[in-house]
Amino acid sequence: MNGSSLYAKLRSSLKRFERSTAIMYSSSLKFRIGFTLITAIVALGLVSLATPPYHWQWYKLPKDQPPSLSSIDMILGTTTNGRSVFWASSNAIINSLTIGLLTALIASHIGLLIGLVAGYKGGLIDRILMLFTDSFVVIPSLPLLIVLSMLLKEVVNIPLMALMISITSWPWPARQVRAIVISLREREFISTAILTGIPGWQVIFKEIMPHVLGWHLINATNTVLYAIGAEIGLSVLGLSILSMDTLGTMIYWSTIGYPSLFRGIWWWVLPPIVLTIAIFVSLYLISTAIAERIEPRLRWRT
Amino acid sequence: MTSKGFLKFALERMTLFFVTIVFAISITYGLLRLMPVDAVENIVAQISVQGLVYDPIALNALKSQLYEIFGLTGSPWEQYFRYLKSAFTLDFGPSILAFPTPVRDLIARFLPWTIGLLLMAVLISWTVGNILGMIASLREGSKLSKILQGIAVTLYPIPYYVMALVLIFIFAYLIPVFPLGGSSLYVEKIDLSTIASLLKAMALPALSIVIVSALGWWFLSSRTLTLRVMTEDYVEHAIMRGLPWSLIVRRYVLRNILLPQVTALGLALGGIFSGAIITEAIFAYPGLGLLLFRAISTGDFSTALGIVTLSIYGVSLGTLLLDLLYPLLDPRVRHR
Repeated sequence: MNGSSLYAKLRSSLKRFERSTAIMYSSSLKFRIGFTLITAIVALGLVSLATPPYHWQWYKLPKDQPPSLSSIDMILGTTTNGRSVFWASSNAIINSLTIGLLTALIASHIGLLIGLVAGYKGGLIDRILMLFTDSFVVIPSLPLLIVLSMLLKEVVNIPLMALMISITSWPWPARQVRAIVISLREREFISTAILTGIPGWQVIFKEIMPHVLGWHLINATNTVLYAIGAEIGLSVLGLSILSMDTLGTMIYWSTIGYPSLFRGIWWWVLPPIVLTIAIFVSLYLISTAIAERIEPRLRWRT
Repeated sequence: MTSKGFLKFALERMTLFFVTIVFAISITYGLLRLMPVDAVENIVAQISVQGLVYDPIALNALKSQLYEIFGLTGSPWEQYFRYLKSAFTLDFGPSILAFPTPVRDLIARFLPWTIGLLLMAVLISWTVGNILGMIASLREGSKLSKILQGIAVTLYPIPYYVMALVLIFIFAYLIPVFPLGGSSLYVEKIDLSTIASLLKAMALPALSIVIVSALGWWFLSSRTLTLRVMTEDYVEHAIMRGLPWSLIVRRYVLRNILLPQVTALGLALGGIFSGAIITEAIFAYPGLGLLLFRAISTGDFSTALGIVTLSIYGVSLGTLLLDLLYPLLDPRVRHR
């Protein structure tokens, strides 16, 4: 494939994406709210590109200052170690979303692959794969993550964190994709495709895949949510990347590291919590909106 | 279901239970072995830094025990089976955070608190959520139903521990009803005042679980189920027969939505447990969560591993019990 055709392909798929976003936006209130909210949050996160270099040093700003409109550093107040809450929040958004997106990239694709294979092949392969998946489902995810991150405490960084969270977050997508594939396999167009004698992987990728893609997108969105939540859970226990700004580490330092509420420093405690809830609600609204679009039976009669 | 059929189903389900447990424990073992750091050296280094164990002989004994627990002595098969054995007997040697109390005793001391909290929170949220969801969908389109739905969609994706932080902010900072630092609970004997302080200690952690799961997931799923049940022929038939509304709701609707929700509860157990553990740590509630938090801050892998293994048992046992209970609850399940 030469460069220009690749470019054309990219452009057409981008166009398709744009069009489906526009359709979703005009047809679903949930999508509208979720999309607007997450766009605003991502925009706030992108502001972090302009973070002044002194942000990564302590006590460059006066400590424990309440929010004031005097400068952009002070707009959300400062922390007990003299850092701007605004820049910390903005960096935290980007870092947390990166962890979420990386996890979604790894885990939901592993889930997709296992679900496709198990659902399509059936029989012994399905049984073995599902036994494996179910065993992961009964391992409560956070305790396992806690033991793993205890071991990796000294070396942990964003990709490693995403990899670790992926270990516990692929089974649900796998189960779901498998269920969809099993119901698809009984349809006539699939048996026709098999009867024409094309190889199995082509049946999977050309005939089954297009019907699974929507659910795959939903799974990916939910994995982003799960990963951000898991990172916060680990942070509360002091097991995240404590030297970086993420939503979890902001919560850790403000409520557990330096119990700020005792001293009334609410402006350090509140932003990460509010941002977390906003991210969760907006992504969840988007994923339900897509689900309702694909499966109109789910649509609520309002 | 005939008694013979049930026996066969129960036996199959039990076998699956054991197989998944062995599998799950093997997975944790495999993951621990895959980790690029030497767990034992890591632990011993942390212990010596903190000066928890002074006696060099005790330290050496601990070290060799740790090597055994992590399955690092003998041939690979021996290592694996020793790990399985210690997981099945929950024998993870002495704990480090309360040396030399065995991990098993330590867990046994904290476990009842977690079970109490979880039982209370799960029962309340399951009942309240299901009933609210049913009521809301019976009055589909009313203002109350719409408001509840809006709340549910907002609450559902939020983890318990984020809700816990919100509750602390509201009920300990804005309106100081509860102490900010959580509850320091010490129960020597059971009398009225200790029960009162116990309930106070449980209130906020339980509330953060109840709010999220009752008004979130249980509400939403019960609502969807009710809407589906209401369109079934037998409900329409009952309405046409002119049966009293309360009877229709109780016999025809409620029973049919509660059954699938029992299965859903089984599937949700793992998530509820995981979330509750961190919620406990936030509130300094003396359950497994707090123990895990302390284990982490002292680098006590044996205790942490013990809790992980125990939670594997807990979650799969809960699912097993609900599965076995199901045919007894649902007279329609006679096949298989």
